[in-house]
Amino acid sequence: MTTQTKRIAINFGGGYVPGLNAVITGAVLAASELGWEVLGIRDGYDGLLFPDRYPDGGLVKLTPAIVENLTGATGCILGTAAQSDPFRVRTINAENMVEEVDRSDELLGRIRKEKIDAVISVVGARALSILWKLSRKGLKTVCVPKSVENDVAATMLSFGFNSALSFVAEMLERCRQAAQSARRIGVVEVLGEHSGWLALQAGMAVCADAILIPEIHYDLRKVAAKLREKAKAGRTFGLVVVAEGARPLAGLNAPSKTSDSKMKAALSPGATGGEGFYVIERSGQVAAEVALEIQRLTDRETSPLVLGQLARGGTPTVVDRQLGLGYGAGAVRALSNNQSGVMVVFQPPDLKFVPMAEALNKFRTVPANSEFVQIARSLGISLGD
Amino acid sequence: MENQPMNPKAATGLVLNIQHFCTHDGPGIRTNVFLKGCSLRCKWCSNPESIHPKPELAYNPGKCIGEKQCGFCLKNICPESAIYVVGSGDRADDKVRINWDLCANCGKCVPVCPSQALYMFGQEMTVDQVLDEVEQDSSFYRESGGGMTLSGGECQLQADFAAALLSGAHQRGINTAIETASNVPWDFMAKVLPHVDTVLHDIKLTEPERHKKWTGADNTRIRANLKRAYETFPDKKFIARTPLIPGVNDDEEHIRATLAFIKPYKNVVDYELLPYHRFGESKYTFLGTVYEMMDFTSPSPETLKRLQAIIDEAFCRST
Repeated sequence: MTTQTKRIAINFGGGYVPGLNAVITGAVLAASELGWEVLGIRDGYDGLLFPDRYPDGGLVKLTPAIVENLTGATGCILGTAAQSDPFRVRTINAENMVEEVDRSDELLGRIRKEKIDAVISVVGARALSILWKLSRKGLKTVCVPKSVENDVAATMLSFGFNSALSFVAEMLERCRQAAQSARRIGVVEVLGEHSGWLALQAGMAVCADAILIPEIHYDLRKVAAKLREKAKAGRTFGLVVVAEGARPLAGLNAPSKTSDSKMKAALSPGATGGEGFYVIERSGQVAAEVALEIQRLTDRETSPLVLGQLARGGTPTVVDRQLGLGYGAGAVRALSNNQSGVMVVFQPPDLKFVPMAEALNKFRTVPANSEFVQIARSLGISLGD
Repeated sequence: MENQPMNPKAATGLVLNIQHFCTHDGPGIRTNVFLKGCSLRCKWCSNPESIHPKPELAYNPGKCIGEKQCGFCLKNICPESAIYVVGSGDRADDKVRINWDLCANCGKCVPVCPSQALYMFGQEMTVDQVLDEVEQDSSFYRESGGGMTLSGGECQLQADFAAALLSGAHQRGINTAIETASNVPWDFMAKVLPHVDTVLHDIKLTEPERHKKWTGADNTRIRANLKRAYETFPDKKFIARTPLIPGVNDDEEHIRATLAFIKPYKNVVDYELLPYHRFGESKYTFLGTVYEMMDFTSPSPETLKRLQAIIDEAFCRST
């Protein structure tokens, strides 16, 4: 089939990252160059599944005039899918009973009815799985990776990461000054459930004393030794950066974070629909535990602080604007090449298209001997091992 | 011992668990039979594994021995490719993970898991299988005035199976009770209730809008069902219950409104408050995944005492 795509739609999986609007702009401008029409679907798939919730019917016509000056704007004009999973939509049936129903066929039907030829979907790990299932059911789609943690496999850089990195580094700098003036050890928790890029790169940028990431299980006695050593030399403060997924070495005083991740993983969200599993964000736990333990080990005052979701807000950096625009335009290019089921990825210096399955169930993690890890070590930063 | 299931069609049902020696759900020492499937989604739900009406996979990473030592479940077992590991094998943590969005709950990974980290919630059981197990404790029931309690989930959703279990229990001389939220079609209740000795029914919230906010559905059907049940079965014992959740329903208005609702009926013999408890660490861990509201606290003893006093006064009991 070589029918030319004429009408495409764009939507966003859950979670803000800086630069979402840049993707819209990129896609709309590139599509308009080809004479295509672009529609925005509000709040993930909600705009199509619940059109009566929206005064504009859930679909927004996007034109170059609308996206003018949008590239650097924060947030997302279309909204993101909070918990919208078309395979498990919570409904109240005619008997007033609550149940989760699969409305994916209905969704695909609506997409056909609206004469939408293809959907550009901006996804993180979870939205990718849902999109994958939809694409197996026949949805023509191209996806774009977004992640503030830069943990999407197959791409060197997800958009959103660079802005988060700048923000986190600036906050770490401030935390260090606060720690210095209070003569304490600041313990700052940043996002990163599976991969420690944000903690590692931002921590390196401010020369933190220690950086704990999920890839390297930590032994706080080693961190404490490092801090004591520096204290002996007259340094009265310290800064420890912890990724939220960091864990202690097996067998060491493993606190509740371990059981917490068990909690997160034990049961299928089928039980409670979109809520539940994904609602629980026990941020702050690692910071509190690490701070307490370091205080115990060093006899110095510590203060835990959580940056967490703050990193998702704010204006995109120039890098993320470029990436967003590039990803948006790249997705349109893939569709004009009649590709489907692919993800636009950045493998410097090129934008490439890889099958979605290559990113499915995979996370881009920090390799144990990567250059970043080696540089951190040579800067004298403890990685807790 | 000729025990024929009352309704051969409902010869089997989806049972989550059979728990022996329970003392809080009806008179005496009881055996609780938890049926799977629920028609509400209370945010404080303490048995979230009972909500989904089909068997479903659970995974306890604490028991997983990892890809290097085992890895059986990663060898093309899962038809949906929902099982994976993070990282490239050089990580200390090589436990498997489940992509719940891809998992279709087929259970094919369960038999290959040697450490039972993967297991299923919910199994099909026949009426006799359940009753045979329940009957093992019949001497305790006799001594204590106990029996069998059907719980859930919402046990009345499997109406035919529940009715067969309850009538079968009666045939075996076992006292019966159910725990229910009553958000089911009246036909279901009409099938189940004739075989129940004690009905423990929840009144979680009295206002329809608030009920919908916290439990997913409003309470108009529940109220209509309960009124009809009180009137249709004047000889049954009904006990109203409120799971007391601070910030949700631990206010006098709710307690008084509930009392106003039940007091006209002489067969509603009691109103119990069930103070919300956080579970012990192990059960909490096991259930926690789907806890939407982990930070609910238990009601304070003072609140409990104050609200209990209102109830005691209404039932003319001195404290």
